Amino acid sequence: MLAAGRGSRLGGLTDSRSKVMLPVAGKPIIEWLLKEMVDAGIKQATIVHGYAGARILSSLGSGKALGIDLDFVEQSSPHGTLGAALDALNNLPLDEDVLILNGDNIVSSSAIRRLLDAEGPCLLIAEHENPHEFGVVTLNGNMVAAIQEKPSIHESIGRVVSTGALRCPVIWREVFEKTVKVGLVGIPDAIRNLLDDEVEIEAIRTDTWVDVDHPWDLIDMNATLLNGIEHHISEDAEVHPSAVIRGVVHISENVVIHPGTVIEGPVHIGPDCEIGPMAVITGSTTVGAGTRIGPFSRIRSSFLMEDVQIDSGTWLQRSVIGPATVLRSHVHVDVGETQKIGDSGEFIVRRLGLVTGEACTIGHGVVSAPGTILGSQVLIGRRARISGEHPSGSDIQSGGV
Amino acid sequence: MCGIFGITGQSEGLVSNLMAGLSKVEYRGYDSAGICVSRPEGLDLKRAEGVLDNLKELVTDMEEGHCGIAHTRWATHGPPTEANAHPHCDPQFRVAVVHNGIIENEVQLRQVLIEATSNDCFKSETDTELVAHVLAQEIDAECGDEIPDDDQLLASWRRSLDRFVGSFSLAAVVKGREDVILVARSFSPLILAFNDAGYLASDTVQLIGMVEDVYYIKDGDWGLLRKDGMELFDSDGEPVVRESTAIQWNEEDAELGGWPTFMLKEINEQPGVIRSCLQGRLSRDFLRGVKISSKPELVRIIACGTAFHAGMMTRHYIEELSGIPCIVDHAHEFRYGTPAGPKALVLGISQSGETADTLAGLMAAQERGYPTLSIVNRESSTIARQSDSILGIRAGHEQSVASTKAFTGQVLGGLLVALRLGRLNNKVRSEELAVINNAARRFPNAMERLLASSQLEKGLKRARRLFHNQEHAFFLGRNSSYPIALEGALKLKEISYIHAEGYAGGELKHGPLALIEDGTPVVVISSEGIIQQKLFGNAREVAARGARVIMIAVEGDVEASAHADVVITVPKTHQLLQPIMHNVVCQLLAYHVALDRDCDVDRPRNLAKSVTVE
Repeated sequence: MLAAGRGSRLGGLTDSRSKVMLPVAGKPIIEWLLKEMVDAGIKQATIVHGYAGARILSSLGSGKALGIDLDFVEQSSPHGTLGAALDALNNLPLDEDVLILNGDNIVSSSAIRRLLDAEGPCLLIAEHENPHEFGVVTLNGNMVAAIQEKPSIHESIGRVVSTGALRCPVIWREVFEKTVKVGLVGIPDAIRNLLDDEVEIEAIRTDTWVDVDHPWDLIDMNATLLNGIEHHISEDAEVHPSAVIRGVVHISENVVIHPGTVIEGPVHIGPDCEIGPMAVITGSTTVGAGTRIGPFSRIRSSFLMEDVQIDSGTWLQRSVIGPATVLRSHVHVDVGETQKIGDSGEFIVRRLGLVTGEACTIGHGVVSAPGTILGSQVLIGRRARISGEHPSGSDIQSGGV
Repeated sequence: MCGIFGITGQSEGLVSNLMAGLSKVEYRGYDSAGICVSRPEGLDLKRAEGVLDNLKELVTDMEEGHCGIAHTRWATHGPPTEANAHPHCDPQFRVAVVHNGIIENEVQLRQVLIEATSNDCFKSETDTELVAHVLAQEIDAECGDEIPDDDQLLASWRRSLDRFVGSFSLAAVVKGREDVILVARSFSPLILAFNDAGYLASDTVQLIGMVEDVYYIKDGDWGLLRKDGMELFDSDGEPVVRESTAIQWNEEDAELGGWPTFMLKEINEQPGVIRSCLQGRLSRDFLRGVKISSKPELVRIIACGTAFHAGMMTRHYIEELSGIPCIVDHAHEFRYGTPAGPKALVLGISQSGETADTLAGLMAAQERGYPTLSIVNRESSTIARQSDSILGIRAGHEQSVASTKAFTGQVLGGLLVALRLGRLNNKVRSEELAVINNAARRFPNAMERLLASSQLEKGLKRARRLFHNQEHAFFLGRNSSYPIALEGALKLKEISYIHAEGYAGGELKHGPLALIEDGTPVVVISSEGIIQQKLFGNAREVAARGARVIMIAVEGDVEASAHADVVITVPKTHQLLQPIMHNVVCQLLAYHVALDRDCDVDRPRNLAKSVTVE
């Protein structure tokens, strides 16, 4: 499992952890994937870590709690995912097959099982609405004919992309090494070399692939993963009898829900949170551990990381709020369509609110335009109007930009 | 110090289970180790000098059994040789004993035994061997060569224990009685448990995954452990029943997972420790769960080692936030010292809650009529149970001998106590509490940012080079960063064996400056405002004499780099919390310097965790 990258397109959200450690729907992305692997019958995995690897080690331990035996390798070379894969493959016997998965996106247990059951080498593929951001696959029947990494937006291509999940013989590491030697660092590059040598790779299709590339992808991943949680209210939680809890809601230990609060699932509330009185949290929202949501605040379809503080009367939807961020009272987040620039060019993001990095402070009465993206430790003065993107450490005072 | 373990009634895998239980307490000593399996035909003893791995090689093909005891040793009596390794037996190999603690009347007992038999009857220099001799004699007196029944065993065990003075937890197996282990506890920790087998241990962590509930038996308790229960008596010989407690920790706490060392694992756990230590206690603008009933006129803090430095931080907090004067003493000095002063609160700080000196100090304070409060990591420990009230720091099991995360928890515990005293004394207003609370909520994230920062990695890489071939180093702080200077020096000493001293910057010219040579590394831990300027002055003074200055400063402190060879910056937080952040850099610096010198950071020489002897 490759988990060495930072996920730098996520900006400040990955300042103190790598993408795989973002706690979507109550647990890190990598844990969701490990759960699918365990469900598919996998007993042992090697995790290649690099950026902020300590967080991964602290969180996963030996894997015992997840039902899998884990060992860890620190990525030694700077050669991208291919280098990371090589670090793991170097410890494996040459006559076996291995499954290579990216730790930062989620493939279902049934898809994993189909890879395991296949006759030989195979690549998991899926359709995506922005294929230009991925490795685009051309098929010949059910075999991979070609793969093109991040083609230009002007090229006319299909919508089928590689999920990065690959089952292959360990001996392919020789091809990986050759590919790295000529300066190419991606697994698709190695696959291209293999296809040139007329190696046959089966394409296996999945429709349950969830990937995160940009911050707004987290909102969709959050919604998808929240469909997989179970209704649970911890015995150590304190829920006032006048609170209304509807739908699938997970309330962890030491949570306090004050009077008049309404929570409509699917919602996951991490440990040690304090919510209300009279707060409203609805549809597909994750509230990270230690978060505090004040009176009359309304949160919808959002991903709040740990130790967030939202004071009273704030209206937040389709947003991603980084850890230890404070939203003072009466912050209003508008939602709408916004244009963003990706690797392959511009594209439209539908329905996005606010994205903040770590430990931002948004002052009283701030109004945020759709698609506002902040780095970490950004200070927004009271009553400011904000829009666009602001790097870490920005200090924006009222009047706005 | 010293770890013991025992199992009776195990149906299979006895030897590997004994070794597993022992490996969890290797932190309590790694001078030698041994195990004894009791079988109907006799006692089978395997012992090895040095770390546990040496014993592991010896027991790979050891025959299985159903009953055994095991020990890992931190030498008190006699050098760490195989002969001095536990378990110890009597000359006839009728009993085998493991022991944690010290038998204080060893000399007299030895004399009596020599008179009764002969001088060459002893194979070791340990006090423990005497226990084996005495017990064997008493069994002989009770039933001759016959296999003793329960009553005979208990009678001879009782008479034996009456002859020992000191602190001990003891476990003994007797030939022919694989169904029982004799146990006794005086002062030193001993934990019993049973499900399908009976277990005894020095530390709960040994029993994680084996049982769900444990019995913390009391001082003076003694008796028999069986596979399905225990027969216990108090020091007056009256039968007693003790309550069981559920084990709080999970298995991962005592396992390395993907980490190279426990110390690095625990350093990285600190953001989580901050969260759990403050959880539910510091909330909006109020404090919960810190019990101090009446306002003291004086606080006396007693602690040892790292906890002593946490005590010095606590004094800083208490005096700053409550205005109540505070004295910090080494527990061993306090214990034999003068009374605690007028209307004093005595505050003990100990990670394990078993530190013999701190425990004795707290008991001495109680005898003098002072209320006691203790800050401990283990809420089921002896100190926790003896104190009038406790504040658990919730740091989880700490395995590394060099304490890191427990220090952070202890300092936060001290801050909570100081805030409570400040409230009692009407010195801390609720607005101030809210400000501190807001900063504290952001503190774990700030530390996470520090731990993941490439700037820290680069800074450490440059700083550790300055320690190359150096045998002396200094840490300077002032005011709130002075205890961190002491703690930083202690960490470096403990694990890298570099001689290090922590000094208050102002003390420099009163002596230590004479020791600065060309190339001596000096770590300066920055502080606030005017004090910061004074520290810069100290940095210049040592630099002028050839020292290489490593400055730990907050982000954005542009001046710091002008006074140092290497600057390592940390995220800025509330001034009360800033020293804890600085300390993380000291921990990592000590860690990396020790690695550069090929030191075994988890097993520093001569040391052991949980100092249960005086």
